[in-house]
Amino acid sequence: MNNIVLKRESNTDFSSTDETSLLVVIFDSNPGQQFLRDNTHVLTHCLDSIIAFSNAHLMQKAQNKLAVMACHSKTSQFIFPGPGKPIDIRQTDGQYEIFTMVEKTIKHNLSKLLGSDISNILTESLLAGTIAMALCYIARMQRIKSPGIKINSRILLVTGSSDSASQYMNYMNVFFTAQKHNVVIDVCALDQHLSLLQQGCDITGGLYLKLPQLQGLLQYLLWVFLPEPPIREKLVLPPPVKVDYRAACFCHRELIDIGFVCSVCLSIFCKFSPICTTCHTVFKMPGPLAVKQKKKKLKL
Amino acid sequence: MGDEEEPKEYRWETGYEKTWEAIKEDDDGFLEASVADIIQRAKRKRQTQKTGTTKLGMMRHLYILLDCSDAMSSQDLKPTRLLCTIKLLDGFIEEFFDQNPISQMGVIIMHNKRAEKISDLAGNSHKHVKQINSLNRTSLVGEPSIQNGLEMALSSLKLLPTHASREILIIMGSLTTCDPSDINVTIETLKQEGVRCSVIGLAAEVHVCRQLANQTGGTYNVILDDCHFKDLLYQQVDPPPAAVCLDSSLIKMGFPHQMEADGKEEPLTMCMCHVDSVDEGSKLTTGGYYCPQCYSKYCELPVECRACGLTLVSAPHLARSYHHLFPAANYTEVAFEKQVSLCFACQKTFTETDKQVYSCPNCSKTFCLDCDIFIHDTLHTCPGCATNLSTFQITHTS
Repeated sequence: MNNIVLKRESNTDFSSTDETSLLVVIFDSNPGQQFLRDNTHVLTHCLDSIIAFSNAHLMQKAQNKLAVMACHSKTSQFIFPGPGKPIDIRQTDGQYEIFTMVEKTIKHNLSKLLGSDISNILTESLLAGTIAMALCYIARMQRIKSPGIKINSRILLVTGSSDSASQYMNYMNVFFTAQKHNVVIDVCALDQHLSLLQQGCDITGGLYLKLPQLQGLLQYLLWVFLPEPPIREKLVLPPPVKVDYRAACFCHRELIDIGFVCSVCLSIFCKFSPICTTCHTVFKMPGPLAVKQKKKKLKL
Repeated sequence: MGDEEEPKEYRWETGYEKTWEAIKEDDDGFLEASVADIIQRAKRKRQTQKTGTTKLGMMRHLYILLDCSDAMSSQDLKPTRLLCTIKLLDGFIEEFFDQNPISQMGVIIMHNKRAEKISDLAGNSHKHVKQINSLNRTSLVGEPSIQNGLEMALSSLKLLPTHASREILIIMGSLTTCDPSDINVTIETLKQEGVRCSVIGLAAEVHVCRQLANQTGGTYNVILDDCHFKDLLYQQVDPPPAAVCLDSSLIKMGFPHQMEADGKEEPLTMCMCHVDSVDEGSKLTTGGYYCPQCYSKYCELPVECRACGLTLVSAPHLARSYHHLFPAANYTEVAFEKQVSLCFACQKTFTETDKQVYSCPNCSKTFCLDCDIFIHDTLHTCPGCATNLSTFQITHTS
């Protein structure tokens, strides 16, 4: 512990007051998630952990900024800072007013969101779109910041839904945008392993953690995801997992090892087909000849 | 600028254009806001021309023909034309490989009536950037020869397979070219081979360049200043529409993934890329990319497997350029009449100053101007569509 503190002091870059850290927490509140359907009051547990974690982030530095988003079955929205005016808060039990406000706003907006959707149809969580919204929000924060201030932004995704290859394109777009704008994407998987989001963490330099135990959510959040990315390399964190960079084919949306790529539009297919379904190009030759051609091309 | 003019028509025959009236001073007497506005409008115009259905030449093979003649030492671009060009090309090369992951590029310089290839067609940006940066010490002498440059580029582009898109980009500072024979013959050959030649002029419009660009289906533009130069150069990053004579084929590729090693350490192995290189010997390492066909190990992607000839790429490499094929739908400009109070994406509250808001035709969510630009320039995914179950796949299927 001493070691860490010392190193932090020696690196004056990120302890200066001109730097703020913007954290966008995306919470997957889709009732269709398996672990929520098994045990509904887990949601309260997760929410409490996230609120405590958010407050811990704000507590680290007075300048730190926070936004919390909920990705629900039909829509995604910001639950902190919510739409409209901030609610009036009076100090209770000597608690810092902002903490009370974070908790009240999140709970108020989330309950409104949960109440607005009572259908029982199971749908997938459109997390890629929520990240896209978060990136727009971060881009606005970068635009309106006062000059001389540096904002380090990151996104933390807390989700228990499964990977959906149908959002592949949207995921890739948001990952590359995040990479370009130096936004770190962290993922905390509550229930299932998420290989696409794991790629995103790897691309943007974030951390991926598949939670071994849901009970310890807050503990893991505070240990793994609370430190800023520059500090993380000095900490002993769970070892990085090997990233699976296989592609999903366009025809069946399955992950493949070897595939065929259309030379016109770079669509990936798992089998040779005479017509590209994406750009409607007609291919003139079968597999073996195409391989021979490619050899010629790659002679550098 | 930038619009194709009819080649037969002279400038004075077109309508009387009051270009100075397009530029207005803002409240503080600055012109920047109005220039930015012009660039903004041009951007939106280009954006609307993009439609997802056109066939694009994604496997690009581009030769940059850089003028290194006497004319490049002129100081009308600061500090000199050459240094300014080198600086812009640096960024261009990075961006090019970022957006065109499996493309290749080469650089040829033209000086003293000769053409000299300073870097061969290759898919690695570092090498090109290094070569380009070493140019600032070359002596700028004599006249350039476009013909020699074109012939040299053509001789290596000719050998490429038919599904590859072949392009030449000429950056021309000189107003003259000194050629050994009839350049029209060369232009004709380029046209037959389907090589697309684009020219960026740093001085003034030259007939032979206009001819070259028109005949081969490229673009010809003359720069106004360094910002315009950058804009023109970066337009070349987007893949061009596929040439008609382009053959297409399916190319077999491998997507390597790291070894499955549950719990135990990976064995130490040597990678195939360095195994027989003299100057940089192969080291024993864990990790790396394994060819899914023959399990040879490589330390970098993309690469062609030396053992089985399979092209190895990583999926995100390909995914980087998908947005060219599936661009986000263009938003329609709507006058702001307090329809909504917030921008859907960035939560900005609309005020009186927002005269126009932008709405997506698919999900009919409303966005502010800044988000419109951000979404179409960088993100390429409409946040409204992507968070809506009925629309999140529209860009993929249409």
